Amino acid sequence: MTVSAIEYTRLGPPKLRLYAMRCSSCGKLSPWWEKNHCYECGGGDLTHEELAGGGEITNYTVVYYPPRDFLGQEPYVVGHIQMDEDVLLPAPVVDVAPDDVEVGTRVTSTLRRMKLGHEGDIYYGHKFVVE
Amino acid sequence: MRIGVLGVGKTPHKIQHDKSLRDLIVEAGRGAMDDAGVGPDDIQALYLGNVAAGGFNYENSIGLMGAHHLGIVPAPAVRVEAACGTGAWALHLGCVAIASGLYDTVMVLGAEKMNDLATVEGTSVIAQAADSKEEYFSGLTFPSGVALTARKYMQTHEVTEEDLAHTSVKNHYYGARNPSAHLRFECTVEEVMNSATVADPLKLYEVCPMTDAGSALVLCREEILREQADKPQVFITATQMATGTWYAVSDATDALKATSGRAYEMAGLTAADIDVAEIYNSFAIQEPLGIEALGFAERGEGWKGAADGSTWLDGDVAVNPSGGLLCKGHPLGATGSTQAVDIVEQLRGTAPEGMQRQDAEIGISACRGGPGSVGAVHIYQRLEG
Repeated sequence: MTVSAIEYTRLGPPKLRLYAMRCSSCGKLSPWWEKNHCYECGGGDLTHEELAGGGEITNYTVVYYPPRDFLGQEPYVVGHIQMDEDVLLPAPVVDVAPDDVEVGTRVTSTLRRMKLGHEGDIYYGHKFVVE
Repeated sequence: MRIGVLGVGKTPHKIQHDKSLRDLIVEAGRGAMDDAGVGPDDIQALYLGNVAAGGFNYENSIGLMGAHHLGIVPAPAVRVEAACGTGAWALHLGCVAIASGLYDTVMVLGAEKMNDLATVEGTSVIAQAADSKEEYFSGLTFPSGVALTARKYMQTHEVTEEDLAHTSVKNHYYGARNPSAHLRFECTVEEVMNSATVADPLKLYEVCPMTDAGSALVLCREEILREQADKPQVFITATQMATGTWYAVSDATDALKATSGRAYEMAGLTAADIDVAEIYNSFAIQEPLGIEALGFAERGEGWKGAADGSTWLDGDVAVNPSGGLLCKGHPLGATGSTQAVDIVEQLRGTAPEGMQRQDAEIGISACRGGPGSVGAVHIYQRLEG
């Protein structure tokens, strides 16, 4: 999840910390912090909950042809991170050679610059590094 | 439901630097009207599928522009947009419009002009069709999102990259025979395996090209087609759409599964009745997933047909005898409408040599969009008086 400096001003509790949203009906966590509806049970009351940051790579790919905003970073790893709190987050895995990533690798979250926007605005987001 | 297919038309599918978006719209639309034997004044409504002209061509209001250039003003026209399911959604709306009784004759058209931008810019435009906040602007692209799906499929079902490569081999065999296709060459499993990695484990020959194209159908009430007995009596007998997962965290076939069951029920048919299928495969892995969602194979076994021949032209069901999106290309808004045109040609018996399923009477097209956000299934039948 990426957030520009402008969007930051309207963010609620998360303020760029690593949050997920818990459904008050079924207790299931949904990824990131902008959810209004629980895909598990259909509940409409979700509350912010901070994650500790630890998780495990359950799936990953190596991107060789990035979109414009990520030019120069290729090849880079994007993974599905199964967080310890039982929610799956798609996110970049950084500071590691693609060959050193595998399913089951333990990772922890880190706040990084994600990209530059079209007008030079900086976007921040959560990436993961190998523990 | 029986919606008459009065006429079809399509442009070549390739990079066309000499043609603009409006050129593609006019060529496809006029082609369909000529085939139908109607003129602009006969078209009572236009449903024009286009995904991203705002990004590719810096223009919007494409439905209105299309109506103007096709000369169907003052008939109502609207742009339809639902990611890669756009052309199929336009077709759905055209069918609903006829079925409602409001219109007698409508045009469904899909068009996309993608190659005015370099690939890196185009990739960025395409990525906007998924969740821009949570997935695709975190460095995921459509190829890499689908790569995650492919790896999960391989893990879950113990399938190898070589197993999956057969799908590209089959598509390219037929793509080489399709004069309208963008990529016209055959390839081997070894060549697929040795092609460049786009997003591990997806390789270049498992990824569709960016293509400029348009395609169109003129639809009508059943009686109008029946009155023209010399025309092939091809009808759309089921149209079903669904919305599915917005995120790439599943195998993203829930929408297609939901849709196919309803479509078979609507037509009163089963998967075993289908002669020929056009299944969305902008990336090779999506073909086995589609085959499974349509009930042609059990879960985890959809890849086998390309290897054992059962999804080739003379197999149990011919899947993508056009070469699929892997070879035709994926002109986003036109993809769903081109699938429909290709199936209609199959049922008319006018598909190009080497692509024609013998005695095809029942066809199906399955389109999808976003990570798994759109499911679209149409069933077509040739029903001579």
